[in-house]
Amino acid sequence: MIIIGERINGMFKDIAKAIRERDSAVIQEWARKQEQNGARYLDINVGPSSTEPVEAMKWLVEVTQEASDLPLCLDSTKYDAIEAGLKVCKRPAMINSVPAEAAKMERVFTMAAEYGAEVICLAMSAEGIPKDAESRVALAMELVATADAFGVPIDNLYIDPLVLPCNVAQDHGPEVLETLRQIKLISDPPPKTVVGLSNVSQGTRDRELVNRVFAVMAMANGLDAAIADACDDELMAAVATARILLNMDIYCDSYIDVFKKG
Amino acid sequence: MGLTGLEIFKHLPKTNCKECGAPTCLAFAMSLASGKATLDACPYVTDEARAALDSAAAPPIKLVKIGTGDHQLELGDETELFRHDKRFFHPTGVAVLISDTGDAAAEAAAFDELEFDRVGLHYVTDVVAVKCDSGDGAKFKAAVEAVAAKTAKAMILICEDPAVLAGALEAVADRKPLLYAATADNYEKMVELAKAKGCPLAVRGKNLDELAELVEKIVALGYKELVLDSGARDTSKVLADLTQIRRSAIRKRFRPFGYPTIAFTGKEDPLEEVVQAGVYLSKYASIVVLRAAKKEQLLPLLSWRQNLFTDPQKPIAVEPKLYEVGDVNEDSPVYCTTNFSLTYFIVEGEVENSRIPSYILSVDTGGISVLTAYADNKFSGEIIAKAMKEAGLESKVKHKKIVIPGHVAVLKGTLEEESGWEVLVGPREAAGIPKFAKENFA
Amino acid sequence: MAVEIQREKYRSKVGEVVLGATKEQGGSRSHTITVGGESTLPFLHFEGDMPNRPVVALEILDMVPEEWHPCLEKYYGDVYADPADWAKKCVDEYGADLVQIRLSSADPDLKDSSPEDCAATVKKVLEAVGVPLIVIGCGKAEKDNLIYPVVAEAAAGENLLLGVAELENYKAITSACMAHQHNVIAQSPIDINICKQLNILIAEMSTAMAGRIIIDPTIAALGYGIEYTYSIMERARNGALQGDKMLAMPMIGNIGYETWRTKEANTPADEAPGWGEQEARGILWEATTAMAYLQSGMDILVMRHPRAAALVKQNIDELMQDNSY
Repeated sequence: MIIIGERINGMFKDIAKAIRERDSAVIQEWARKQEQNGARYLDINVGPSSTEPVEAMKWLVEVTQEASDLPLCLDSTKYDAIEAGLKVCKRPAMINSVPAEAAKMERVFTMAAEYGAEVICLAMSAEGIPKDAESRVALAMELVATADAFGVPIDNLYIDPLVLPCNVAQDHGPEVLETLRQIKLISDPPPKTVVGLSNVSQGTRDRELVNRVFAVMAMANGLDAAIADACDDELMAAVATARILLNMDIYCDSYIDVFKKG
Repeated sequence: MGLTGLEIFKHLPKTNCKECGAPTCLAFAMSLASGKATLDACPYVTDEARAALDSAAAPPIKLVKIGTGDHQLELGDETELFRHDKRFFHPTGVAVLISDTGDAAAEAAAFDELEFDRVGLHYVTDVVAVKCDSGDGAKFKAAVEAVAAKTAKAMILICEDPAVLAGALEAVADRKPLLYAATADNYEKMVELAKAKGCPLAVRGKNLDELAELVEKIVALGYKELVLDSGARDTSKVLADLTQIRRSAIRKRFRPFGYPTIAFTGKEDPLEEVVQAGVYLSKYASIVVLRAAKKEQLLPLLSWRQNLFTDPQKPIAVEPKLYEVGDVNEDSPVYCTTNFSLTYFIVEGEVENSRIPSYILSVDTGGISVLTAYADNKFSGEIIAKAMKEAGLESKVKHKKIVIPGHVAVLKGTLEEESGWEVLVGPREAAGIPKFAKENFA
Repeated sequence: MAVEIQREKYRSKVGEVVLGATKEQGGSRSHTITVGGESTLPFLHFEGDMPNRPVVALEILDMVPEEWHPCLEKYYGDVYADPADWAKKCVDEYGADLVQIRLSSADPDLKDSSPEDCAATVKKVLEAVGVPLIVIGCGKAEKDNLIYPVVAEAAAGENLLLGVAELENYKAITSACMAHQHNVIAQSPIDINICKQLNILIAEMSTAMAGRIIIDPTIAALGYGIEYTYSIMERARNGALQGDKMLAMPMIGNIGYETWRTKEANTPADEAPGWGEQEARGILWEATTAMAYLQSGMDILVMRHPRAAALVKQNIDELMQDNSY
């Protein structure tokens, strides 16, 4: 599993301020820090309260690229902002995200095919997030079939089964894990899977512990990527260890360092 | 793995009628892929779709047998690209080629003796291929009969003229030889012959595309006991084709390539032939045919086959017994180690290097190494003492001294008590044996 | 019917290592040899690059070998006494791509030659041949650690391949290579985890050295556990192609040394009549061992019998032919 560093997000106060003041140093510091600690993509989100999302996204992409060669994950519900970001990305990027809704799929998959971008696909429809694994997988299937029709290669897709906070929707946990397993049965090669890890611990007291344990459980069920805090050393160590235990990396005593260096 | 949701979906009616209980055909396809539903739930599935879905569930590479009885050879039914992922199951058949223009009887008699014993294992050259070079039906038939009379091992009959082949086959059809080969020009007659006699049939294309096409035509005629030849003869091209056939069958379930394969060497020099055959054996040929027929030429190839097809999960053991290294006598030193083959052979090699004829007592530890066996209590003073008694060491040497591996020096006390022998603690690594021997026994 | 060709998509490739240095580059070799660089499994040219062919080194000792099989005397007997002549014969007559000299005489139990003697021998061999050189210690760590810095300095600029670094003893040789810009053989005992760890430790001493490592997985001969090393090499190479940088180094193996320790290579025909003639058997035991390791990704094959080496070079020529679709 790889980590998509979540820190460059306008929800964080320091980032929102940096965007407002166009202070590239703060952004670039976070880009470097996350990369050094093992992130493989950097999530870029201008934040919900941005008044100029298109311009802000473009600027964020540009300054982040100056500090890091990692591919970017452009995170917005405003597709114009994502497209503006895609235009200035030096490397193929990831689009975050699209639900299983016809109009949105058309917009996003067209864009993904044009820019060779990967896409995070949400297992939800206009009716919301289903509870049981079967319905989540059916939505995933619909996303995959639609992407395929638009010419987006299936291994460019990351299905997000959508994790809910464990203190309010405890019964979703096993369904999400089951969804992760079944997504691998959709096609060959199968689509990849991703979760927004921090969602699971929203509002809990021991957030980092909850994140870490869930990350490892999800990995055992086939999770390929997580949008997460790459600067949480214990999380990174747990992920590196899980990769060893799942025989994804070849063991050596320094495996945690090796994982971080990529 | 089984079929994926998308693959199944392609064969469904896509009407979203909901009669199966699933809200959409997509959802039903996923239930099928995860084994939660069966196709019977869909009232509108066509016979064609059902057949396609059934055949996709068959093993990726068909098991094909040539020969009969004790000498029957099973080919194919492999599931891996790398032995470390699980194992390779059916060792490559090594076939020696005999021409109908030479002394077939003498060559067959020599072939039949190509069996070897090394490290307690018996290696067999398992197939003989008789080739019609003469173009003369009577001659070919006589050669096939002569070979059949000299060896009971599995046979391949190489002749692309169906009439000539049919004539020779009369005499040996009950031996179920592999018929080589159906081509674009003769396949209808060849299939008829193979079907009539129940013999496996090799199929040769000019390249992978033609091969796939030919296999589909033959399968359409109702015959599936097939062995594939892409027609390539250059080392690099054969390696590529064999890799493609194996990958297509295993990764993509591409049915036309879901059969065992055959490869031929193309060299004058028998040594070069062995090396070339080794490449094909390493990378997926189910049978390799070569002319080289001398013992020193086949032993290395058969040894590589034996090594490659071992199960990586299982430790390989040597027979637990008392081994003699060199010209031993009643004063020769005695070493003991486990019966894990790697450990044993390393110790044996170093004892040989010591140039002092010695005994090695290989103790039965279930084929695990010294330290693992010690930790498991399978290599203890009691067990070694018992093995010494069973091997009759008392009557072999008169000195009553035995060397144990340095890593288990701790066993010295109990072994001395149990056996009444003096225990010498040897070096920790086998590489130290020559020096140890020089100091203690020279 | 057009068959869909199966091509793996790999994330990464094996690093390239250059051996030897020409006059312009500060050495005295007639040419350099580059190994590694594969972006696919061995010889699958249809899906990736194999920019450098695997190479065959012939091995020599700095003293008359005590235990080499008599059948080798007709090839080397006249030059056993002089490593420079021996090296020259390997290159001129037997077509060796490289020469590996083992400094056996330095073994305290043998001649206990001094580091300076060893350096002088290496210099002599360098003068005698134009190919890049592999230099291996006597195998006794304490002594070898004295030899490495002296030999490395004497051959400064020649871009040697120097061996061997082991998990318990890698610092002295790595320092010597760092100081005088040579390449290092990192040897692990048929253990992929130690192999990776050792590469990390060497890379930690110097990032530049990470690009100068050749992996020696410690090979076994045919019939003596070859399948263990074969699978370890296949796993390591697959790991390298999937992005494991600490396994993405070219690989070397002492094929001649391991083969000619075996019973099958050495036993005379009259002692083992069931096994056929001895010399051809020994040649094929060595060539078959090498063939298998070529298929599992070996880049430098250190061999002994000239005929076995020729067979393997022939096999490499054939396997390097393009097989794209």
